[in-house]
Parts: sequence; structure tokens; C-alpha cells
Amino acid sequence: MAESPIVVQDLKKVFNVNASGVNSIKTALLWWKPRKKTCFDVLKGISFDVKPGECVAVIGRNGAGKSTLLSLLARVYKPTSGTATITGRAAPLLELGAGFHPDLTGMENIYFNSIILGLTRKQVKERVDEIVAFSEVADHINAPTRTFSSGMLARLGFSIAVHVDADVLLVDEVLAVGDYEFEKKCYAKIDEFRANGGTILFVSHNMQAVRKVADRCVWLHKGHIKMIGTPDEVIPLYESTPMETDAA
Amino acid sequence: MVQRELKIRYKNSALGFFWSMLNPLITVLVMSFVFQNFLSNGVPSATAYILAAYLPFTFFQLCLMDSAQTILTALPLIRKIYFPREILPIASVISNFIHLLLALVMFVIYMLAVYIIHPGQWPFQATSVFLPVLLLINFCLSLGLSFYISAFNTFYEDVKYIVGVMTYLMFFLCPILYFEERVANSPLNQAWGGKIYMFMNANPVFALSNAYRKILIAPQKIMVDKVLVDPLPLDWRYVAWAAFVSVAILISGYSTFNRLKWKFVERP
Repeated sequence: MAESPIVVQDLKKVFNVNASGVNSIKTALLWWKPRKKTCFDVLKGISFDVKPGECVAVIGRNGAGKSTLLSLLARVYKPTSGTATITGRAAPLLELGAGFHPDLTGMENIYFNSIILGLTRKQVKERVDEIVAFSEVADHINAPTRTFSSGMLARLGFSIAVHVDADVLLVDEVLAVGDYEFEKKCYAKIDEFRANGGTILFVSHNMQAVRKVADRCVWLHKGHIKMIGTPDEVIPLYESTPMETDAA
Repeated sequence: MVQRELKIRYKNSALGFFWSMLNPLITVLVMSFVFQNFLSNGVPSATAYILAAYLPFTFFQLCLMDSAQTILTALPLIRKIYFPREILPIASVISNFIHLLLALVMFVIYMLAVYIIHPGQWPFQATSVFLPVLLLINFCLSLGLSFYISAFNTFYEDVKYIVGVMTYLMFFLCPILYFEERVANSPLNQAWGGKIYMFMNANPVFALSNAYRKILIAPQKIMVDKVLVDPLPLDWRYVAWAAFVSVAILISGYSTFNRLKWKFVERP
């Protein structure tokens, strides 16, 4: 049994939001006072792991900490305590089209993004055609990305992420973009990705999508794991839980 | 990353890389016009002397100014993908460094052109081989300060204005528009028994500006109060001090940056 590519152990994240919002030295000096700190415990110690080739969906209400969890895994945030480790190369798709520079052309952005995701220039050159073809952006690839439509940005972003040979794909609520055809293509690509042994962790509110691709579900509720299980076990419970219990 | 920086900078300008030459060139022409004609120190080829110190100073100044915004402009990227955050200030400093090298090439061309038009003393001297040493010190200093500034400016957005004022004032505290001999021979310095000269030299940027000038162009006698004064030899102790300070700033800047880098995404 191979090592689990994603291991989350007793992960906690606290955000400090200071109410004053000081952002200049002048303000800090003139209006100096003891900081009023508001802390948000976004994740209150969660543990789970994802096995190789598994596809795990994270579900939960808004503010449950789903996106924070992905960001922590993508190493955008540093955990307050606990660990979130990914073995192998991770391609985070936290928001499509993020990291594109609007003044650079689509082509230049492909290079730039793939290199940040860990490819070498030569490797990018080999698969650049594939990326362009998959994204269906066609002739616009040499236009600055600021001229792209949001659909084009999304397709290009997805296309790059699935072509960098990542071991782990972190997807945050992005499969809903693009038209029906493209969505189908995305699912096909995800199946292919998994057939090659890739691991996926994704966040979704779309229960149909979860049923379709996920092997397991992690139900986050207010920073705790409420339930882990197969979609067939978790989703009915999740859907039947009335909103009111959120307050409890 | 550096490539991206350069590309963006020149993306929308038809003259492209020519700009990086043009900026120092125009500055130097204006300065030499004023200096040769109105503010002459009794030194021929004042332009060359100013240039030798001014170009590295511009590099230093631009590094600090540019670094302030590096993290903020890349914030959307930082929020989405992990990559070593240090790359941002490093890329900014490197791209400015490339500009400095280009400007120095221009400087050499300028010197040769002057030599061809007015043949006289061969303008270059053997000590120029120390140039890489000075560039390295300068690079460390600029990078170290860039780490500090880029990290702090992320939390306090007025840091960049403070840096702007400080580098502007620094310009006048460094021997760029004047010669260090003037500092050494000033009544103030003599009244303090040479302390002022030492104090100003303790500023690494002062020491570096002076060293650039001394190693690149043959020193000349300088008119101070209508008396010609012999040029001072380059005091390597001050250069060594500058190197020490620069490396110290680089190390502490880097560790500060590393300590703060996880907070960039969580800035208020």
C-alpha cells in the first residue's frame, strides 16, 4: 500500500482579523491603541487522509472551512497547528484564471503558470499545443488575457492544471464553468487523470457532481468534520439536515 | 519571473529596452549640461564622474522603490498558488540589476565617445577590475533592503512613501553631485577633527558611490575653496565596512521576510 498523498492531521487554523484594519505606519503611530483582535477559528482540528488514486469531495455549508482547507493544502496559508501535507506535485485550482497576468498573452501565461506549478521550460514546450487544444481558446492564445472572456480564462486555467502531470489536484468549485460540452470534457479528463493514478480533492456544492466523481465525502461543519463516508451515505444526510442546525 | 517582470515593463512601450538606456542617458545629459557650465568644480569631464556614481545609485533607488509593490501586485497570485515568496523581491532586484549593467555598458560607450572626440588621457584605469566586487556588495545591500521594504510595505502601505523620501535625501548625502574630497576638506569636517567624513563614509551607499567613482575613472585634483586638492586614495576599509553592513542587512532582511511571509495572505 502506497503512502497516502494527502494527509491532514489535527489541522487548526485561526484567522486574526483586527477590527481597526491598520494599514499605514502613520495611522499606527497616531492612533495607537491596544489591538482589538477578533479570532476566527476556521478549522478546529480536523484529520483525514486521502489514498492514492482516490477522489474525495469536501462538502459543507458556506463558512464551514472548505476553501481554507484547500488553501492550507496548497500551502497558501500556514496552519496554526497541525499539519497538512501533500506528497508529490500538487496543482491547486483554487480559482480559475488566478495567477494570469492580464497584460501577458495566453501563451506567455501558459509558460508562466506551468513553471510556477513546477514544470521546466522544456516540458512546457512539449505540451503547450495540448494545453491550447484542450482549452479551445484557439486563435486568442496570442492575445493578452485581459481580453479573454471569463469562460476562456477558466478553460485555459483548467487546461494548464490538468496538463502539468500533477500527482494531486486540488479543485475549488470550478467545474461549473464552461458550457456543457466543456464540462463533459473536464469530467473525461478527470477520469483519465484518475486512471493514471492521480488523486483529487475537490470542493463542491453541486451534489450531482459529487455523486458522479467522488469516492468519499468529507462533510465539514463549522470547522469540524461531521461525517466521512461514501457519497451515498453522506449526501442524503447532508441534504436532509435543515439550515437551522447551523446555529447550534 | 525576471522575464515576466521585464516583459510587463516594456510590454506597452514601443521603444522597448531602449527606454532603459534612455532614462540614464537623458538624466546624464541634463546633469552634465548643468555641471559643465554652471556648477563646474573646476574638473574637466564632470559628467563622467557624476555618471560613475549616479548609475549605481539609481539602481539602488529603483530597487527599493520597486520592491515595495512586489508583494502587493502579486497578491492575487500569492493567494492562489504556493511558490517561494522570496522570488518576488529577488526578481525585481535582478531586473533592475540588468538595467544597471546595461547602463554601465552605456557609460563605457559614452566614455569611449568622449575619448574619440577629445583625445586626451585614456579614460579607464586598471582598478576597474574591482567593479564586480562593488556590484556584488551593492546587490546584497539592495536585495537585503528590498526584503525589508517588500515585507513591511505589505502591511503598512505608506512604507513606500517613506522609502521614497529617504532615498531622495540619501542622494544628497552621497558623493554623487560632489566629491568626497569636498567633504574631507570642508570646514565642518576639520572643526570636528575628521569625524564628519568618517560618519558619512559609514553609510554604505556613500562608500559605494565613492568607490565606484574612484575605481572607474582616474581621480583628479579637485578645487576646494580655490585651492587644488590632491584626490584621496580609495579607502578600502570603508568598502569592507559597506560589504559587512550589506551582508548583515541581507541576512537579517531575508530572515525577517521569511518570518513575515506567511502573513502576507492574511494582511488586513
